This record gives sequence, C-alpha cells and structure tokens, in this order.
Amino acid sequence: MNQRDLELLSSYLDGQLKPSDSARLEKRLASDPALRAVLDDLRSARGLLRQLPMRKAPRNFTLTPKMVGKNPPLPRSYPAFRFVTALASLMLFFTLGLNFVVPQMAQTPAFGMGGSGGGAPEVFSASEAPAVPEFAATEEPVTQEPSILMQPAPTETVAPAADSAREVETPSEKQGVTNSADLPAETTAQTPPEPPVPPVWQIVLAAIALLGALAMVMMRQAAASRWRRK
Amino acid sequence: MTERHYSMPITTHFQKLIKSFPMDEQALIHDAQTGNLDAFNTLILHYQDSVYNTALRILGDEDQAADATQEAFISAFKSISSFRGGSFKAWLMRTVTNACYDELRRQKRRPTTPLEPDTDDGEEMDSPRWLADPGMTPDQKAEADELEHALQHCLNNLPLEFKSVVVMADIQGMDYSEVAIAVRVPLGTIKSRLARARLRLRECLQGFSELLPTSFRLEEGSNV
Repeated sequence: MNQRDLELLSSYLDGQLKPSDSARLEKRLASDPALRAVLDDLRSARGLLRQLPMRKAPRNFTLTPKMVGKNPPLPRSYPAFRFVTALASLMLFFTLGLNFVVPQMAQTPAFGMGGSGGGAPEVFSASEAPAVPEFAATEEPVTQEPSILMQPAPTETVAPAADSAREVETPSEKQGVTNSADLPAETTAQTPPEPPVPPVWQIVLAAIALLGALAMVMMRQAAASRWRRK
Repeated sequence: MTERHYSMPITTHFQKLIKSFPMDEQALIHDAQTGNLDAFNTLILHYQDSVYNTALRILGDEDQAADATQEAFISAFKSISSFRGGSFKAWLMRTVTNACYDELRRQKRRPTTPLEPDTDDGEEMDSPRWLADPGMTPDQKAEADELEHALQHCLNNLPLEFKSVVVMADIQGMDYSEVAIAVRVPLGTIKSRLARARLRLRECLQGFSELLPTSFRLEEGSNV
C-alpha cells in the first residue's frame, strides 16, 4: 500500500473525502480485501484512541494577577491627580526659570554703558557711577584706573569687581559722613526688579505638586495592599 | 442526590455550574482582551480539562502536563490580543502544543528522568511502564496491564509532529481545519500526518494485542 492510499483511507474514515473520491474508494474497497483490512486497522486504532479516558485536570489552572504580572488597579481619579501634579510641576519650573531670566534681561540695558564688554566693566561702572564725580579732583581714582584697565577683563571677572568695590569704599570711608547721602542712591540702583511671577504663586504650585505626588503614592500603596489581600 | 451535592466541594459545584450554563465565549474573549482576568479565568475553567489532557497525551507525564497547562494559560492570557477570531479552542491548543514543545526541548537539554520512579505509595517500581519498548519481553508486556498505558506508550513513541496531530484529531475530536490552525500547517499535511500517525499506532498496538478489547483486536499482517 502506498502513502496516497493510506491518506485516502484515513480521510475516508473521518468523512473528509469528496463524494466522488469516496465512491471511487468504496469500489476499490469492495474488490480489495487488503485495503479493507488496513481500513479496519486504522478504524480500530482511532477507536482505541477515542476510548482513552479524559482525565480531570488535577487542579484549577485559573490565573492570579501576580502570575500574569498585572499591576494593581488604581482608582479612577488617579489619572486626574497625575495630570494635575505634572502640570503644577511644569508650571513651577517654568515660573522659576522666568523669575530667574527676566530680571537679568531687565538689568542688562540699565547698567550696560552701551557696550557688550562682559561682566567686569559693567560692575565697575555700576559701582563707580555715583563715585566718579565726587573723586574727580582726588588722585586715587586716576591712579587706580589704569591698573584696572590693564587687567584682562574677561578672564578675571570677580577680582576686578572686588577691587572696584574696595576702591569705591576706600574713598567713601575717607569722606566719612559727607558722602552718606550717596548711599540711598546706590541702594536704589542695585535693587532688583520685581519678578514677573509673584513668589506666592510658586509656593502654591509647589504645594499642589507635592500634595499631588503624595496623594498618588498613597493611592498606589492602598491599591497594592488591597492587591496583596486578594 | 442531595447528599451527593453537599458532599461535593464548592469549587467542583462552581465548575459544574459554569459548564452547565451556555457560555458567551465571544463576550468573555472580548473582555479578556481588555485585560479582564476574571473573564479569562471563566474560559480557563471551561477549557482546562481539554488543555490538560492534550498536554498529558503529548508529554506522557502528569506533573509536566500540569506545568505545561499552566504555562499555556499564562502565555495565552498575555497574547490574547493576538487572537483574531475563529476557533478559540484551536488557538488554545496551539498555545499548549507550543508549551509542550518547550517542555520537551527543556527535557532534552536537561534530562531529569529518575532511574527508578516511585509509585504513588512512595515505593520503587520494579518494572516501570515508561521503560516499555517494542522489544520488551512478554513478561514486561504483561505488566503493561492497562490499555491506557499501552496507548500512552505508543503515543510517546510517535514523532512530536505526528503526536500533536493525532492527539488533537482523535483524542480531542477536533476537525481537520481546527488542527491545521493549531499546528499551523496546511490541511494536506494534517491528513498525511494523521494517516501516518494512525498507521504507526496500529503497528505499535499490535505488540499489546492481548490487552486490547476483542472488538478492537487488530489484524496481524495487514499489507501496509
């Protein structure tokens, strides 16, 4: 018996042959006892397999959330908290940046002396501005000016500023009480401009972000504890 | 009747109750696809016997079959979104067949079969059935006193691709198209594998003819 006949017999047994193929095979079966014997054998083998008892599952195979790595279900309000917290955090960082950048931008044209020469000359001129008319007659500023200008300004920004501050103080100390009227003018010139976002808003945003984060943590912990109890 | 009901465990009652009601399979599958584990567990309770029996007949070992069944259900839940309709049973059978293949591959890498397996009472088997082979002595054959073990022995001797087809078609009663979906081979290949598997089983079972019921006695020397 060839493989083709074997497949035909097996399919015939399961009723999987076309009617025309079935009819042809039945004719052959009627005249071929060997073919009939094989068909009987296949039928017996199939019958035995079908008699195998169906075993009952030894236990339930139902799944737990842990088995499938599922996260505990969070409350429906959780996404709202997440959104508000994220928004408050973003706004807080934005206002912090805004309050840092805007005053600096506002200061630049006021003290700039019309140039873009870096920090050292600006500081020098700012501190020097009220003092120069007073000490025009004295020798000290004249002798000191070249020494400052000779220094490489971009590399030593702090040192000249400190020097200039010291230099400004020195004459004013010498002047004593007579120059005390200049002090208010200095303080008004150095007062930083008002930040665009009031600090109270930043405090409120920080509070919202913190409270939101805290609420989210508590929600997660509560959900996890419920999960463990299951 | 009432006593029998009360003497049954509640879980058994629950399972019977579930099976007695017509199950809206499509709705459960849809819910499971949205992550509803309870819906999937209802499907598990409905199919676990079929899946376990398939694994048992392919692997021939109860513990391994239980492990493969559990793995199959976990894998099925994780990939249920890939189920695109059709026969859910066939899709599940594909998953359990893959789990069995993985188990058999693992066994090949790390064979852990004990030399003398224990019986249920903890005693060593003198002549374990799993050692039976076509060349075993008549006495050993006589020890394989149960038809089920003889059949399982013959199933174990089949190549894996034949075994999965014959288990699904002849033991689970699935039709050819479902088996083709489960095994992912064309229908013609299913027909061919099934015919050859039955032929090999027939040849193997001839060695156990004394165990077979009279109505199933196989004719010796058929000209195949």
